[in-house]
Amino acid sequence: MSWLPFAADATQVHLTSQTRIVAAVIAIFFMLMILELIRRDRLQERYSVIWFIAGLGMLAGAAFPGLLELVADVMGVRDTNVALFSIVLLLLLGLALNFSVIMSRQAAQITRLAQERALEKAREQAAEERGNGGAASAERERA
Amino acid sequence: MRTLVFIPAWNEEDSVASVIADVRECLPDADLLVIDDGSTDATVARSRDAGALVASLPFNQGLGAALQTGYLYALREGYEACAHLDADGQHPPREVARLLEEILGDRADLVIGSRYRDPDAVAASDDYRPTFSRRIGTGVFRFFLTLATRQRFTDTTSGMRAANRRVMSLFSENYSPDFAEIESLQLAVREGLRVEEVPVRMLERAGGSSFLTPLRSAFFIFKGVVVLLVGQFRPRQHAEAER
Repeated sequence: MSWLPFAADATQVHLTSQTRIVAAVIAIFFMLMILELIRRDRLQERYSVIWFIAGLGMLAGAAFPGLLELVADVMGVRDTNVALFSIVLLLLLGLALNFSVIMSRQAAQITRLAQERALEKAREQAAEERGNGGAASAERERA
Repeated sequence: MRTLVFIPAWNEEDSVASVIADVRECLPDADLLVIDDGSTDATVARSRDAGALVASLPFNQGLGAALQTGYLYALREGYEACAHLDADGQHPPREVARLLEEILGDRADLVIGSRYRDPDAVAASDDYRPTFSRRIGTGVFRFFLTLATRQRFTDTTSGMRAANRRVMSLFSENYSPDFAEIESLQLAVREGLRVEEVPVRMLERAGGSSFLTPLRSAFFIFKGVVVLLVGQFRPRQHAEAER
Protein backbone atom coordinates (compact mmCIF):
# COMPACT_ATOMS: atom_id res chain seq x y z
CA MET A 1 0.00 0.00 0.00
CA SER A 2 3.00 2.27 -0.26
CA TRP A 3 1.33 4.17 -3.10
CA LEU A 4 -0.99 5.78 -0.55
CA PRO A 5 0.55 9.02 0.69
CA PHE A 6 -0.69 8.43 4.23
CA ALA A 7 0.10 4.73 4.32
CA ALA A 8 1.41 3.31 7.56
CA ASP A 9 4.98 2.07 7.48
CA ALA A 10 6.19 -1.48 7.10
CA THR A 11 5.39 -2.34 10.72
CA GLN A 12 1.71 -2.85 9.84
CA VAL A 13 0.18 -5.77 11.77
CA HIS A 14 -1.47 -8.26 9.43
CA LEU A 15 -4.21 -10.78 10.12
CA THR A 16 -2.82 -14.24 10.79
CA SER A 17 -3.99 -17.20 8.71
CA GLN A 18 -5.59 -18.63 11.82
CA THR A 19 -7.69 -15.49 12.33
CA ARG A 20 -8.80 -15.65 8.73
CA ILE A 21 -9.85 -19.29 8.95
CA VAL A 22 -11.78 -18.71 12.19
CA ALA A 23 -13.52 -15.65 10.69
CA ALA A 24 -14.49 -17.54 7.54
CA VAL A 25 -15.91 -20.46 9.53
CA ILE A 26 -17.91 -18.11 11.78
CA ALA A 27 -19.23 -16.22 8.75
CA ILE A 28 -20.39 -19.41 7.07
CA PHE A 29 -22.06 -20.70 10.24
CA PHE A 30 -23.69 -17.32 10.73
CA MET A 31 -25.25 -17.34 7.28
CA LEU A 32 -26.39 -20.95 7.71
CA MET A 33 -28.08 -19.92 10.95
CA ILE A 34 -29.94 -17.13 9.16
CA LEU A 35 -31.06 -19.54 6.44
CA GLU A 36 -32.33 -21.88 9.12
CA LEU A 37 -34.24 -19.07 10.86
CA ILE A 38 -35.94 -18.14 7.59
CA ARG A 39 -36.72 -21.79 6.88
CA ARG A 40 -38.48 -22.09 10.26
CA ASP A 41 -40.40 -18.81 9.78
CA ARG A 42 -38.65 -17.23 12.74
CA LEU A 43 -37.17 -14.48 10.54
CA GLN A 44 -38.81 -12.71 7.60
CA GLU A 45 -36.83 -12.53 4.36
CA ARG A 46 -37.01 -8.74 4.19
CA TYR A 47 -35.27 -8.40 7.55
CA SER A 48 -32.63 -11.00 6.66
CA VAL A 49 -31.05 -9.12 3.75
CA ILE A 50 -29.02 -6.87 6.00
CA TRP A 51 -27.70 -9.87 7.95
CA PHE A 52 -26.62 -11.66 4.77
CA ILE A 53 -24.75 -8.54 3.72
CA ALA A 54 -23.02 -8.56 7.11
CA GLY A 55 -22.14 -12.26 6.74
CA LEU A 56 -20.82 -11.83 3.20
CA GLY A 57 -18.75 -8.85 4.32
CA MET A 58 -17.21 -10.96 7.06
CA LEU A 59 -16.43 -13.72 4.57
CA ALA A 60 -14.91 -11.23 2.12
CA GLY A 61 -12.71 -9.85 4.88
CA ALA A 62 -11.44 -13.33 5.67
CA ALA A 63 -10.89 -14.35 2.05
CA PHE A 64 -9.20 -11.16 0.85
CA PRO A 65 -7.13 -9.70 3.71
CA GLY A 66 -5.93 -7.03 1.28
CA LEU A 67 -9.35 -5.39 1.56
CA LEU A 68 -9.10 -4.99 5.32
CA GLU A 69 -5.52 -3.77 5.11
CA LEU A 70 -6.58 -1.14 2.59
CA VAL A 71 -9.31 0.03 4.98
CA ALA A 72 -6.83 0.06 7.86
CA ASP A 73 -4.49 2.18 5.79
CA VAL A 74 -7.21 4.66 4.88
CA MET A 75 -8.23 4.90 8.53
CA GLY A 76 -4.60 5.45 9.49
CA VAL A 77 -4.61 2.38 11.73
CA ARG A 78 -1.47 0.30 11.88
CA ASP A 79 -3.10 -2.82 13.31
CA THR A 80 -5.53 -4.48 10.88
CA ASN A 81 -7.36 -6.08 13.83
CA VAL A 82 -8.29 -2.65 15.16
CA ALA A 83 -9.68 -1.73 11.76
CA LEU A 84 -11.72 -4.93 11.81
CA PHE A 85 -13.19 -4.08 15.22
CA SER A 86 -14.04 -0.55 14.13
CA ILE A 87 -15.85 -1.80 11.05
CA VAL A 88 -17.86 -4.31 13.05
CA LEU A 89 -18.77 -1.60 15.58
CA LEU A 90 -19.98 0.73 12.83
CA LEU A 91 -21.95 -2.09 11.27
CA LEU A 92 -23.69 -2.81 14.59
CA LEU A 93 -24.52 0.88 15.03
CA GLY A 94 -26.04 0.91 11.56
CA LEU A 95 -28.08 -2.20 12.32
CA ALA A 96 -29.37 -0.74 15.60
CA LEU A 97 -30.42 2.44 13.82
CA ASN A 98 -32.09 0.39 11.11
CA PHE A 99 -34.12 -1.41 13.77
CA SER A 100 -35.13 1.89 15.41
CA VAL A 101 -36.46 3.05 12.04
CA ILE A 102 -38.41 -0.17 11.56
CA MET A 103 -39.69 0.07 15.14
CA SER A 104 -40.90 3.64 14.63
CA ARG A 105 -42.79 2.66 11.52
CA GLN A 106 -44.41 -0.28 13.27
CA ALA A 107 -45.28 1.84 16.33
CA ALA A 108 -47.10 4.28 14.03
CA GLN A 109 -48.91 1.39 12.36
CA ILE A 110 -49.94 -0.11 15.71
CA THR A 111 -51.24 3.26 16.90
CA ARG A 112 -53.32 3.73 13.76
CA LEU A 113 -54.66 0.20 14.07
CA ALA A 114 -55.67 0.84 17.69
CA GLN A 115 -57.35 4.11 16.68
CA GLU A 116 -59.28 2.46 13.87
CA ARG A 117 -60.53 -0.22 16.24
CA ALA A 118 -61.53 2.38 18.84
CA LEU A 119 -63.50 4.35 16.24
CA GLU A 120 -65.14 1.17 15.00
CA LYS A 121 -66.26 0.39 18.57
CA ALA A 122 -67.66 3.90 19.01
CA ARG A 123 -69.61 3.62 15.75
CA GLU A 124 -70.97 0.24 16.86
CA GLN A 125 -72.12 1.76 20.13
CA ALA A 126 -73.76 4.65 18.29
CA ALA A 127 -75.57 2.30 15.93
CA GLU A 128 -76.69 0.15 18.87
CA GLU A 129 -78.09 3.15 20.72
CA ARG A 130 -79.92 4.28 17.58
CA GLY A 131 -81.17 0.71 17.16
CA ASN A 132 -82.99 0.40 20.47
CA GLY A 133 -83.32 4.18 20.18
CA GLY A 134 -86.20 5.37 22.31
CA ALA A 135 -85.96 2.44 24.71
CA ALA A 136 -82.43 3.20 25.95
CA SER A 137 -82.96 6.92 26.38
CA ALA A 138 -86.32 6.36 28.08
CA GLU A 139 -84.60 3.99 30.47
CA ARG A 140 -82.01 6.62 31.22
CA GLU A 141 -84.75 9.17 31.85
CA ARG A 142 -86.32 6.85 34.41
CA ALA A 143 -83.01 6.18 36.16
CA MET B 1 -73.02 23.69 12.82
CA ARG B 2 -72.28 20.18 14.02
CA THR B 3 -69.86 20.22 16.91
CA LEU B 4 -67.99 17.39 18.61
CA VAL B 5 -66.53 17.65 22.09
CA PHE B 6 -64.11 14.85 22.90
CA ILE B 7 -62.53 13.97 26.21
CA PRO B 8 -59.33 11.90 26.36
CA ALA B 9 -59.42 9.80 29.53
CA TRP B 10 -56.90 7.46 31.05
CA ASN B 11 -57.95 5.98 34.39
CA GLU B 12 -60.20 8.90 35.32
CA GLU B 13 -63.11 6.99 36.85
CA ASP B 14 -63.48 9.51 39.69
CA SER B 15 -64.04 12.55 37.53
CA VAL B 16 -65.12 11.51 34.05
CA ALA B 17 -68.84 11.22 34.77
CA SER B 18 -69.12 14.70 36.28
CA VAL B 19 -67.11 16.20 33.39
CA ILE B 20 -69.52 14.56 30.94
CA ALA B 21 -72.51 15.93 32.85
CA ASP B 22 -70.98 19.43 32.89
CA VAL B 23 -70.30 19.33 29.14
CA ARG B 24 -73.88 18.19 28.51
CA GLU B 25 -75.17 21.12 30.53
CA CYS B 26 -72.94 23.85 29.04
CA LEU B 27 -72.88 22.54 25.47
CA PRO B 28 -76.26 20.87 24.96
CA ASP B 29 -75.99 20.88 21.15
CA ALA B 30 -72.57 19.26 20.91
CA ASP B 31 -72.01 15.54 20.42
CA LEU B 32 -69.80 13.95 23.02
CA LEU B 33 -67.07 11.33 22.63
CA VAL B 34 -64.88 9.93 25.39
CA ILE B 35 -61.60 8.49 24.17
CA ASP B 36 -60.51 5.85 26.60
CA ASP B 37 -56.73 5.49 26.35
CA GLY B 38 -56.56 1.90 27.55
CA SER B 39 -57.90 2.55 31.03
CA THR B 40 -57.71 -0.33 33.49
CA ASP B 41 -60.31 1.10 35.87
CA ALA B 42 -64.03 1.79 35.43
CA THR B 43 -63.57 4.82 33.14
CA VAL B 44 -65.36 3.15 30.21
CA ALA B 45 -68.31 1.95 32.27
CA ARG B 46 -68.74 5.29 34.04
CA SER B 47 -68.62 7.14 30.70
CA ARG B 48 -71.23 4.85 29.12
CA ASP B 49 -73.46 5.15 32.20
CA ALA B 50 -73.19 8.92 31.90
CA GLY B 51 -74.53 8.54 28.38
CA ALA B 52 -71.36 9.27 26.41
CA LEU B 53 -70.15 7.54 23.28
CA VAL B 54 -66.84 5.81 24.05
CA ALA B 55 -63.97 5.10 21.66
CA SER B 56 -61.78 2.63 23.49
CA LEU B 57 -58.13 2.20 22.52
CA PRO B 58 -57.14 -1.43 23.21
CA PHE B 59 -53.99 -0.38 25.07
CA ASN B 60 -52.49 2.81 26.46
CA GLN B 61 -51.05 4.81 23.57
CA GLY B 62 -50.36 8.20 25.13
CA LEU B 63 -52.30 11.45 25.11
CA GLY B 64 -51.26 12.36 21.56
CA ALA B 65 -52.67 9.17 20.06
CA ALA B 66 -55.88 9.59 22.08
CA LEU B 67 -56.36 13.18 20.89
CA GLN B 68 -55.61 12.15 17.33
CA THR B 69 -58.36 9.54 17.60
CA GLY B 70 -60.76 12.36 18.44
CA TYR B 71 -59.65 14.50 15.50
CA LEU B 72 -59.93 11.48 13.21
CA TYR B 73 -63.49 10.80 14.40
CA ALA B 74 -64.51 14.44 14.00
CA LEU B 75 -63.04 14.55 10.49
CA ARG B 76 -64.63 11.32 9.29
CA GLU B 77 -68.04 11.98 10.81
CA GLY B 78 -68.14 15.36 9.11
CA TYR B 79 -68.17 17.69 12.13
CA GLU B 80 -67.50 21.34 11.32
CA ALA B 81 -65.94 22.12 14.68
CA CYS B 82 -64.47 20.11 17.51
CA ALA B 83 -63.07 20.79 20.96
CA HIS B 84 -61.38 18.74 23.62
CA LEU B 85 -60.85 19.08 27.35
CA ASP B 86 -59.19 16.99 30.06
CA ALA B 87 -61.17 14.37 31.95
CA ASP B 88 -59.77 15.30 35.37
CA GLY B 89 -62.13 18.24 35.91
CA GLN B 90 -59.52 21.00 35.48
CA HIS B 91 -61.28 22.46 32.47
CA PRO B 92 -64.70 24.06 33.01
CA PRO B 93 -66.90 23.28 29.94
CA ARG B 94 -68.24 26.85 30.09
CA GLU B 95 -64.79 27.99 28.97
CA VAL B 96 -64.75 25.40 26.18
CA ALA B 97 -67.92 26.99 24.83
CA ARG B 98 -66.04 30.29 24.56
CA LEU B 99 -63.24 28.62 22.57
CA LEU B 100 -65.79 27.11 20.20
CA GLU B 101 -67.32 30.54 19.57
CA GLU B 102 -64.00 31.65 18.05
CA ILE B 103 -64.07 28.66 15.68
CA LEU B 104 -67.73 29.09 14.76
CA GLY B 105 -67.11 32.79 14.08
CA ASP B 106 -64.18 31.71 11.82
CA ARG B 107 -61.75 33.98 13.67
CA ALA B 108 -59.19 31.19 14.07
CA ASP B 109 -58.43 27.65 12.89
CA LEU B 110 -57.15 26.46 16.27
CA VAL B 111 -57.96 28.03 19.63
CA ILE B 112 -56.03 27.29 22.82
CA GLY B 113 -57.45 27.90 26.26
CA SER B 114 -54.69 29.60 28.23
CA ARG B 115 -54.64 29.64 32.01
CA TYR B 116 -51.78 32.19 32.01
CA ARG B 117 -52.92 34.70 29.43
CA ASP B 118 -54.80 37.04 31.74
CA PRO B 119 -52.52 38.22 34.57
CA ASP B 120 -55.10 40.66 35.98
CA ALA B 121 -57.69 37.99 36.67
CA VAL B 122 -58.52 37.66 40.32
CA ALA B 123 -57.76 34.13 41.46
CA ALA B 124 -60.55 32.27 43.20
CA SER B 125 -59.71 29.76 45.93
CA ASP B 126 -60.25 26.73 43.71
CA ASP B 127 -58.33 28.20 40.78
CA TYR B 128 -55.40 26.47 39.19
CA ARG B 129 -52.01 27.19 40.79
CA PRO B 130 -48.90 25.84 39.06
CA THR B 131 -46.23 23.99 41.04
CA PHE B 132 -42.60 25.07 40.95
CA SER B 133 -41.34 22.50 38.41
CA ARG B 134 -44.41 23.16 36.32
CA ARG B 135 -43.55 26.86 36.25
CA ILE B 136 -40.01 26.16 35.04
CA GLY B 137 -41.29 23.86 32.30
CA THR B 138 -43.91 26.38 31.26
CA GLY B 139 -41.26 29.10 30.99
CA VAL B 140 -38.88 26.97 28.92
CA PHE B 141 -41.58 25.77 26.51
CA ARG B 142 -43.03 29.25 26.20
CA PHE B 143 -39.62 30.65 25.28
CA PHE B 144 -38.73 28.01 22.71
CA LEU B 145 -42.17 27.82 21.13
CA THR B 146 -42.33 31.60 20.78
CA LEU B 147 -38.85 31.47 19.22
CA ALA B 148 -39.88 28.70 16.82
CA THR B 149 -43.22 30.16 15.77
CA ARG B 150 -42.59 33.90 16.19
CA GLN B 151 -45.99 34.02 17.84
CA ARG B 152 -46.62 34.63 21.52
CA PHE B 153 -47.88 31.60 23.41
CA THR B 154 -48.42 31.56 27.16
CA ASP B 155 -49.95 28.14 27.81
CA THR B 156 -48.13 25.69 25.57
CA THR B 157 -49.31 22.51 27.26
CA SER B 158 -52.97 23.39 27.61
CA GLY B 159 -55.25 20.44 26.90
CA MET B 160 -58.29 22.62 26.25
CA ARG B 161 -58.58 23.40 22.57
CA ALA B 162 -61.05 23.94 19.78
CA ALA B 163 -60.45 23.41 16.07
CA ASN B 164 -62.05 23.51 12.64
CA ARG B 165 -61.84 21.03 9.76
CA ARG B 166 -58.52 22.35 8.46
CA VAL B 167 -56.91 21.46 11.76
CA MET B 168 -58.74 18.13 11.95
CA SER B 169 -57.33 16.98 8.64
CA LEU B 170 -53.84 18.17 9.56
CA PHE B 171 -53.82 16.59 13.04
CA SER B 172 -55.45 13.33 12.01
CA GLU B 173 -52.41 12.60 9.84
CA ASN B 174 -49.59 14.46 11.60
CA TYR B 175 -49.69 14.30 15.35
CA SER B 176 -46.78 13.36 17.53
CA PRO B 177 -47.90 10.46 19.71
CA ASP B 178 -46.00 11.45 22.82
CA PHE B 179 -45.45 15.17 22.54
CA ALA B 180 -48.84 16.24 21.45
CA GLU B 181 -49.41 19.69 22.89
CA ILE B 182 -46.30 21.62 21.95
CA GLU B 183 -45.45 20.05 18.63
CA SER B 184 -49.02 20.44 17.40
CA LEU B 185 -48.88 24.21 18.00
CA GLN B 186 -45.60 24.45 16.13
CA LEU B 187 -47.03 22.35 13.31
CA ALA B 188 -50.20 24.42 12.99
CA VAL B 189 -48.29 27.72 12.87
CA ARG B 190 -45.78 26.30 10.37
CA GLU B 191 -48.64 25.23 8.14
CA GLY B 192 -49.91 28.79 8.10
CA LEU B 193 -53.03 28.16 10.16
CA ARG B 194 -54.48 30.81 12.45
CA VAL B 195 -53.73 29.81 16.03
CA GLU B 196 -55.17 31.93 18.82
CA GLU B 197 -55.03 31.87 22.59
CA VAL B 198 -58.05 32.72 24.70
CA PRO B 199 -57.69 33.33 28.44
CA VAL B 200 -59.64 30.78 30.45
CA ARG B 201 -60.08 29.82 34.07
CA MET B 202 -58.81 26.42 35.08
CA LEU B 203 -59.46 24.61 38.32
CA GLU B 204 -57.37 22.37 40.50
CA ARG B 205 -57.83 18.77 39.42
CA ALA B 206 -60.80 16.97 40.92
CA GLY B 207 -59.25 13.50 41.06
CA GLY B 208 -55.98 11.71 40.28
CA SER B 209 -52.55 13.30 40.40
CA SER B 210 -50.12 14.79 37.90
CA PHE B 211 -47.70 12.32 36.39
CA LEU B 212 -44.79 14.72 36.84
CA THR B 213 -42.02 14.09 39.38
CA PRO B 214 -38.96 16.44 39.32
CA LEU B 215 -36.78 13.99 37.37
CA ARG B 216 -39.57 13.26 34.93
CA SER B 217 -40.18 16.99 34.54
CA ALA B 218 -36.54 17.53 33.61
CA PHE B 219 -36.69 14.72 31.06
CA PHE B 220 -40.03 16.04 29.78
CA ILE B 221 -38.55 19.52 29.28
CA PHE B 222 -35.44 18.17 27.55
CA LYS B 223 -37.53 16.00 25.24
CA GLY B 224 -39.78 18.94 24.45
CA VAL B 225 -36.87 21.13 23.40
CA VAL B 226 -35.48 18.36 21.16
CA VAL B 227 -38.89 17.81 19.60
CA LEU B 228 -39.27 21.53 18.88
CA LEU B 229 -35.81 21.69 17.32
CA VAL B 230 -36.47 18.71 15.07
CA GLY B 231 -39.90 20.09 14.20
CA GLN B 232 -38.29 23.19 12.70
CA PHE B 233 -36.70 21.00 10.02
CA ARG B 234 -39.75 18.97 9.09
CA PRO B 235 -41.10 19.34 5.56
CA ARG B 236 -44.27 21.44 5.30
CA GLN B 237 -47.58 19.77 4.37
CA HIS B 238 -49.11 22.98 2.95
CA ALA B 239 -52.39 22.79 4.83
CA GLU B 240 -52.86 26.54 4.35
CA ALA B 241 -53.23 26.00 0.60
CA GLU B 242 -56.64 24.43 1.24
CA ARG B 243 -57.91 27.60 2.82
